[in-house]
Amino acid sequence: MLRRIAEHLFWAARYLERAQWRARLVDVNYNLLLEVPPRTDDPWEALLAITGENETFKAHHSHADERSVVNFFTLDRDNPSSIRRCIDEARTNLSSMRHQVPTEVWLEVNRLYLESSGWPADALGLPSIPAFFTTLRERFYMIGGVIQATMPRDAAYDFFEMGTMLECADNVARLVDVKYHYLLPRLEDVGGAADGRQWAALLRSASSLEAFRQIYGNAMRADRVVEILLFNGEVPRSARFCVDHIAAALARLAGRYPDSASPHIEQGLLKMLVAAGSGTSVIRKGLHEFLLGFTRECSAVSDRIAAAYMTID
Amino acid sequence: MRFRIKHTTRFDYDSPAYDSHNELRMCPWNRNGQRCLQFELKSEPAGAILAFDDFYGNQGHSLSVADPHDALAITATSTVEIANPDYLNYPDVPFSRFLSGDGERGNQFYEFLAQSRYIPFSERLRKFFWNGARPRGSDDVAEYVMRVVCYVRDQFEYETTKTHVHSSLNEILKSGGGVCQDFAHLTIGLLRLAGVPARYVSGYIAPARFTGGDTLGEQASHAWLEAWLPGPGWVGFDPTHRCRTDQRHIGVAIGRDYGDVPPVRGAYRSDGTKSLMSVDLSIGLASDENAVRLLHPVKRAQSQQ
Amino acid sequence: MDAQETGSVVPDLKAVKPPQPSASDMPMNEMFEESGRPRPECSRVASYLLTLEARRLVELGDRAHVMFQQMGVTFNHYGDAEGAERIFPFDPVPRIISASVWKAVEEGLIQRVRALNAFLADIYGEGAILREGIVPRDLIIGSSQFRHAAVGIKPRNQGFVTIAGIDLVRGADGRFYVLEDNVRTPSGVSYVLQNRVIMRRLFPELLRAMQVRSVENYPADLLSSLKAIAPGDSSNPVVAVLTPGAYNSAFFEHVFLAQQMGVELVEGRDLVCVDHQLFMRTIYGLRKIDVLYRRVDDDYLDPVVFRPDSLLGVAGLTAAIRAGNVAVANAIGTGVADDKAVFAYTPAMIRFYLNEEPILPIVETHLLREPDECELVLRNLDRYVIKPTGASGGYGVVIGPKASEKELEEVRARIMRDPAAYIAQPVVQLSVHPTLTSVSGEGPRLEPRHVDLRPFVLMGAEPRVLAGGLTRVALRKGSLIVNSSQGGGSKDTWVLEDECYAA
Repeated sequence: MLRRIAEHLFWAARYLERAQWRARLVDVNYNLLLEVPPRTDDPWEALLAITGENETFKAHHSHADERSVVNFFTLDRDNPSSIRRCIDEARTNLSSMRHQVPTEVWLEVNRLYLESSGWPADALGLPSIPAFFTTLRERFYMIGGVIQATMPRDAAYDFFEMGTMLECADNVARLVDVKYHYLLPRLEDVGGAADGRQWAALLRSASSLEAFRQIYGNAMRADRVVEILLFNGEVPRSARFCVDHIAAALARLAGRYPDSASPHIEQGLLKMLVAAGSGTSVIRKGLHEFLLGFTRECSAVSDRIAAAYMTID
Repeated sequence: MRFRIKHTTRFDYDSPAYDSHNELRMCPWNRNGQRCLQFELKSEPAGAILAFDDFYGNQGHSLSVADPHDALAITATSTVEIANPDYLNYPDVPFSRFLSGDGERGNQFYEFLAQSRYIPFSERLRKFFWNGARPRGSDDVAEYVMRVVCYVRDQFEYETTKTHVHSSLNEILKSGGGVCQDFAHLTIGLLRLAGVPARYVSGYIAPARFTGGDTLGEQASHAWLEAWLPGPGWVGFDPTHRCRTDQRHIGVAIGRDYGDVPPVRGAYRSDGTKSLMSVDLSIGLASDENAVRLLHPVKRAQSQQ
Repeated sequence: MDAQETGSVVPDLKAVKPPQPSASDMPMNEMFEESGRPRPECSRVASYLLTLEARRLVELGDRAHVMFQQMGVTFNHYGDAEGAERIFPFDPVPRIISASVWKAVEEGLIQRVRALNAFLADIYGEGAILREGIVPRDLIIGSSQFRHAAVGIKPRNQGFVTIAGIDLVRGADGRFYVLEDNVRTPSGVSYVLQNRVIMRRLFPELLRAMQVRSVENYPADLLSSLKAIAPGDSSNPVVAVLTPGAYNSAFFEHVFLAQQMGVELVEGRDLVCVDHQLFMRTIYGLRKIDVLYRRVDDDYLDPVVFRPDSLLGVAGLTAAIRAGNVAVANAIGTGVADDKAVFAYTPAMIRFYLNEEPILPIVETHLLREPDECELVLRNLDRYVIKPTGASGGYGVVIGPKASEKELEEVRARIMRDPAAYIAQPVVQLSVHPTLTSVSGEGPRLEPRHVDLRPFVLMGAEPRVLAGGLTRVALRKGSLIVNSSQGGGSKDTWVLEDECYAA
């Protein structure tokens, strides 16, 4: 497989995953604010903190309200990580190698792209925000489904998988970091029932609410939320799940050509998760520091994968 | 005369270069009174080198250096022996007779009669030709060529600042000054317009202290031309020094113009954008017990090749 | 003045005047004789068509269009603002060629390409044909397609041209004439293969009953022809296809052929030369390439030797070829052989190198660099097709009888400024073939439209000609221009296995 193709697959996956995370963030927050009065004056500003895009936002918008933030995350052409731009990038990455992925994969991504080019410039032009995001969610599930159903489990699949999982791990870590501290400024509030809906919203942003209920029932506890989102190897959006899958993909890639000078990309990520132990222990040791280190390591792993398999030196 | 030449071209890069591929024309030729007794090509860092003969019969080398390097130094060393040129009496051939063979020559020497990248048949050139370099029917071809060679040199200053390595002959016509490359291009352009096949030569000129007389341009590659004369064939002329080529002239490569024979031409990858080229050239007499150090060329029997 | 004195060389067409169709003849109808009866080889198809309603034929055409879209058989049109992809229009009525006619064409094509290869080996080597004055040296050396870099590179078995696409037209006399050679990066074969796939689905019984020669083996034949030029002794040489990228109008074909052959499709940035060998950058490291099927023009192939600003090729490729470590198909410098002016000398080449008479005649070609030819043509400008020698794809071509007064004056001025840049050919009444058209106000009908043929020749271990080739049809009534970029379409071409025709 050519390095250029590996790069395209990896980044197409990252952009698609990023778009889905943005969509969930906006959608969940929107619905939450319909039910529950905001805790602060700027309920939408928190989203910017999660994605770390405060600076980019301030460059083009003065005030963080519903309209400007929804626009920023969804429709803005000036935000390189807006849903629109992510879809564009994903499609661009696939288009020059579209004949090397199953036709249906290309057709679904291209279809989503064609739809997104018809989106209005401003969220005010959307007839219904919930309906918009419902349709978008279905499109993403379709793409994910077609990929799972049609892509042979070869090196191309491994690069796609690693891109998806890295992006997911990175996003869930950021989500937990910001939301946790937004919801829980004081340690004594751990276990407070009044924030049940807020915690539920956090879990929904990671599509993990039902999994939570299945394991823990309805009692929202901070340590349990952190546990499921970071340490549960069976829940698809959990950091642990993602890291396990990255490790497996790397092992498969290294195993295909055992004689080649294939580097071992030592994954500090797995070690970090294991060392942190559990939801309770990581909160005790310092959740923010842990998550900061974790996202840095995600970035380093991405660079190492690129250096080993994609970039031309 | 026997010379030892060491020519180093060095490139310094602002950011490391890698994947560097080059075509070199630095090996003195081995024909017509010039013998290349020894030639060695080295680079620092070392690279893969492959010899080949190009379209004009020049000895070329491909050099490629894969790994990153901050500088590339290419050194060609050679020992060259140049026989004293025989100043034959060429048959008198007036232009009126010469031009009747135009069609045949147009075919055989097409590339040396047509315009080329650095030698366009521009309005400027044509005017210059009509105003002072047109041959008369009665002119002897060999004499005419020498006259044009001197005419070009007389009309322009030797000036290093007015033109650059990629200037076509229009530049020297515009600015009034140039270097040996420009004199050669311009002379060739005029000769071609007159119907005399002419080709560009890149090589070296030995320093004055070995051969006497003034020598310009001895610090780097020198450029002159060869004109095709009825009778002897290709004969060398040096417009910078207003003369026929002699024992000072060490020829390396021939072509239509500079574009065919740059000593080094290549492509490389780098994160930076700039490279600084410097040239180091030294020419000395090769010591050999049979060699006689001569200060002036002396007529003697032409030695067999 | 004769040739000796002036030194100019006149093509020796005058020695033996080849057959030429008269421009005033009625074009040959490939399906029907003048009497209106179908030609024997077409009788089955003709009677099948008669049983179909025009409406049904339109349905079949629409189905074909949908199938093409689903298969992604598209081409990019340079002129379009968005670089939109289009389907090359397809006509479902197949063109039939009898076995006996095809046999002669096949032999003529192989003969032609063998001569062209000998010519290329000669002009980049000894230059005998130039010394003998049969082809003027200045025409060759002065050609923008003559590549100095090709001197000294000797492809295996004189294999300069591995893949050729020769454009043929059929005159009113029923004979095939060569209109043009394409030996640089000839394209169109992917349409031939896809058209056949479509036709199998539209007319399965008809194809089965008629015993049409298969085209499906082309990718395998192409691969073995490419492997045959590999340098060295490798038992299984590595082949790759070099494409300029997704914005190239023939990108679909590059992808298609790479997939069909099971080889890697690469772009310039995937390649690197190390130690005078060519490699592609894979995730597991550098992998050596032995043969590069390059769909990139010489000018863009190697920034060290050709255009220094090109990103489509790879630096050092020429040196690697010279070193004998990699072969390219087609070789550097083949463009001289498909120069429109050199075309006039091709019959002479066949005689000079092969000592044979040309089997396929060429369309009479006048070199306007010759004063007599130029004068003759300028006197009757409205009877000739004027072609610039540097152009391709049909642009810049002026068709005398169709041009306005103004256009004729304009082209006359251009010719007089630079006669060597043009050739002229008499207008050939291309044969016609029943094609589905929609005549406004009258609904869909089968109407005769002009067609040409581009067969593909593979010069591998043994020369092979794809049975049939791309039939291009000019969809506009009366138009003679069949290129995809200017309103042309294609038909499937059926070469029959034998001469037995049941109705």
